[in-house]
Amino acid sequence: MTSTLHTPVAEAVEPRPVAVAPLASLATSRVVPLRRPGQWIATLVVLVLLVNFGQTLFSNPHWEWAKVPEWIFHKSILKGIGLTLQATAIAAVVSFIGGVVVALGRLSRNRFLKTISWGYVWLFRSVPLILILIFLFNLPNLYPSIGIGIPFGPQLAIPTISVDPLALGVIGLSLSEIAYSSEVVRSGILSVDQGQHEAAKALGIPRVRQFMRIVLPQALRSIVPSYVNQVIGLLKASSLLIYVSLLDLFGQVQRLSSTYPTDIIPLLVVATLWYLALTSAISIVQYYVERYYARGARR
Amino acid sequence: MSIAVEIHNATKSFADNRVLRGIDLTVRKGTVTVILGPSGSGKSTLLRAINHLEKLDEGYVVVGEELIGVRVQNGRLKELREKEILRQRSRIGFVFQNFNLFPHLTILENVTEAPIALGTPAAEARELGRTLLARVGLTDKEGAYPRQLSGGQQQRVAIARALAFDPELILFDEPTSALDPELVGEVLGVIKSLAGSGRTLIVVTHEIGFAREVGDWVVFLDDGVIVEQGTPDEVIDHPKHQRTQDFLSKVL
Amino acid sequence: MSSPQRLTRIGGAVITAALIAGLAACAADPSAEPASSDTNSTVTIGAFSNGVATETSVEVPVVEDIRSTLPKEVLDSGKLVIGIGDLPSGFPPLAYVGDDDETETGSESDLGRLVAAVFGLQPEFKPSTWDNLFVGIDTGATNVGLSNITDTEKRKEKYDFASYRGDNLGFEVLKSNDWEFDGDYENLDGLTVAVGAGTNQEKLLLAWQEKLQAEGKSLEISYFADSNSTYLALNSGQIDAYFTPNPGIAYHVSQTADSADPTRNAGTFSGAGETLDGLIAATVKKDSGLAEPFAAAINYLIENGQYDTWLATWGLENEAVEKSLVNPPGLPLDNQ
Repeated sequence: MTSTLHTPVAEAVEPRPVAVAPLASLATSRVVPLRRPGQWIATLVVLVLLVNFGQTLFSNPHWEWAKVPEWIFHKSILKGIGLTLQATAIAAVVSFIGGVVVALGRLSRNRFLKTISWGYVWLFRSVPLILILIFLFNLPNLYPSIGIGIPFGPQLAIPTISVDPLALGVIGLSLSEIAYSSEVVRSGILSVDQGQHEAAKALGIPRVRQFMRIVLPQALRSIVPSYVNQVIGLLKASSLLIYVSLLDLFGQVQRLSSTYPTDIIPLLVVATLWYLALTSAISIVQYYVERYYARGARR
Repeated sequence: MSIAVEIHNATKSFADNRVLRGIDLTVRKGTVTVILGPSGSGKSTLLRAINHLEKLDEGYVVVGEELIGVRVQNGRLKELREKEILRQRSRIGFVFQNFNLFPHLTILENVTEAPIALGTPAAEARELGRTLLARVGLTDKEGAYPRQLSGGQQQRVAIARALAFDPELILFDEPTSALDPELVGEVLGVIKSLAGSGRTLIVVTHEIGFAREVGDWVVFLDDGVIVEQGTPDEVIDHPKHQRTQDFLSKVL
Repeated sequence: MSSPQRLTRIGGAVITAALIAGLAACAADPSAEPASSDTNSTVTIGAFSNGVATETSVEVPVVEDIRSTLPKEVLDSGKLVIGIGDLPSGFPPLAYVGDDDETETGSESDLGRLVAAVFGLQPEFKPSTWDNLFVGIDTGATNVGLSNITDTEKRKEKYDFASYRGDNLGFEVLKSNDWEFDGDYENLDGLTVAVGAGTNQEKLLLAWQEKLQAEGKSLEISYFADSNSTYLALNSGQIDAYFTPNPGIAYHVSQTADSADPTRNAGTFSGAGETLDGLIAATVKKDSGLAEPFAAAINYLIENGQYDTWLATWGLENEAVEKSLVNPPGLPLDNQ
């Protein structure tokens, strides 16, 4: 027993004649990191595939790149982009404001508002946008006029048939979008520390200002990235506006393709390029908006 | 000496947990009252009830001459409208354990936010804000954001913010508990400097040394009731109750 | 409900006033023909057709006897609102966007222009998706659907018809494929065929599929969002044939003749099934009182030669009818 207890102590004290000398000379050399050959192989495979695909883009005649410049700034395409941007922009603003309202409803202590808001989100998250748009187009069949009024009292009504298609389209996009954006806003508000609400209350800041100045700007930090995702989805969802007889970018491409059936592929390429450009533009705006709302977040 | 705060039968439950069990407490004007007690004793809840951040189930609080958060109607206590409550709160300073500065606003904006919200012209509010920041020793930091400051500096900003309406009464909820030990001193220093100025301070804390040095009155709370109260000499140095003695032996 | 009528009435008054101003300007022109009770107008058809039609001018008078039978609201509005179900992708040469990339073009819209001239009304086109075409007629947003709509007994439950053209369908295949339909559904055994959802030709195809399955054979039916994706599927070999109106096949065959994937017509079939000649009809809301004036106007165009010019302009002579009928027998209910 005593000898086994002693041995390590003796070893630690006595210098190791063989090992120590070369080890000491390595004390100032850089440590060589572990090699990962698997990663290198994977990188190589992906690179080869990318180069192959890139090559087909130019060598495969079916892409018909020569026809792309003819179409890319064609007036119908630009008209379609105009509609896409207009519908997306209006719906994005309307759904953000609507989303805040519904989110506040869901976070409210009032049980009725809570239930109504939950019901709204449940309904419009469940029903596909395409169905909402078809129903809206059918509105004059269901309700020849819509309006509000005091029950059994005076009514203010407008005939549904006279509603502008763009208004119908934006209403449809927004109805659906509000359901999603309200969840984004709600999670953003929940992400703001409870102490912020308390501090605002303790200072006696009025309720609306508490929300607009203290809670919302902080919530926006987490809202913005998800909401930009929503807006990009909205940009692409605007192709469903053909159900209210509006032609966005993709609608125009489809319509032109039927008149010029030999240009279907180049027209699809044109649509792809435009969607890439529009989404990139949105991402750039996102970068600056995020930077603005991140102020104070860094040390 | 006149009375700054009167608490009568403060009673509060969270679900089945009775946090305050009918507390009566009187705080004299211009004094520093220190509330001690183990965690879960109800001391923070009691402090937050004074500016109605916590609603009492029973009982009431009077600050100065005014009932807080409620009014008497048809022989019953009814909660005030939010606008009224907010007005009352603006007259009472409150300093949180976790500072709760607004991270997206600069230091100066943090201090001027409430005055501007309640109608002080912006230029005047900024002037006031700079004076208050100077008072807590942070003249050169007005453009910084809270996260760029140390914990001690942040808490000093929070104190400046609480002073914006020149309140007669300031409540401190464990103001040094979230600080690294070496930063505690600077915050306690600022609080001490407020003590002599005729204001009434109520401080929930674990800093026994501070309680002994600055406190005029010490209240020991446990399990939702006041076990013992008196001067620091009575409660801290010569506690009568077993529960007070046990608590002090753990923290000292 | 009273307010929309008031609105359209005001709109009608404005348009009528504009028309009167236009007529007065004509009368002041010394070279104009002597005024008659029937005012002639020149209708241009076959414009912007992307090479399928020759642009032609046709003289059409306003026929008071027919105009006077129109419902009052339509007369008052001063315009004939024509629904065309060619969104998002059209079906040339029947209904599509012209090669100026904005004008509603095709045989269907041109017939609308001719009939509107007989009525003395301004034609106004409302393109929509195929489903919304019928919604538009239901809601009164459009007066009539002119969109290669086949007369079927089922549709008669909700609509009145005035026939104007034969309905022939065809099978389009790649030129490299030597399959022939030969009028016999048995030849479809083992094929994958694309068809437009909700169309008359879909019903025929589904009936054949049922028969083939009863015989232990198979026919696969594919649906695509629009004709563009159908043609992409045909080119890539995902489908063997596209069962679609004959005139559309003719257009596509001529357009693709010099392309990488030329196609051909592999056999035709009547849109009303084996026992009836299929008919394409102007489609109006049931009991709207518009079917009779429509049939009368088309018959006027048939008797006075404009109808033949119209068909010839679009190369649709094979689909001529002798007479326009109100609610003629259509694809029977048991075939649906």
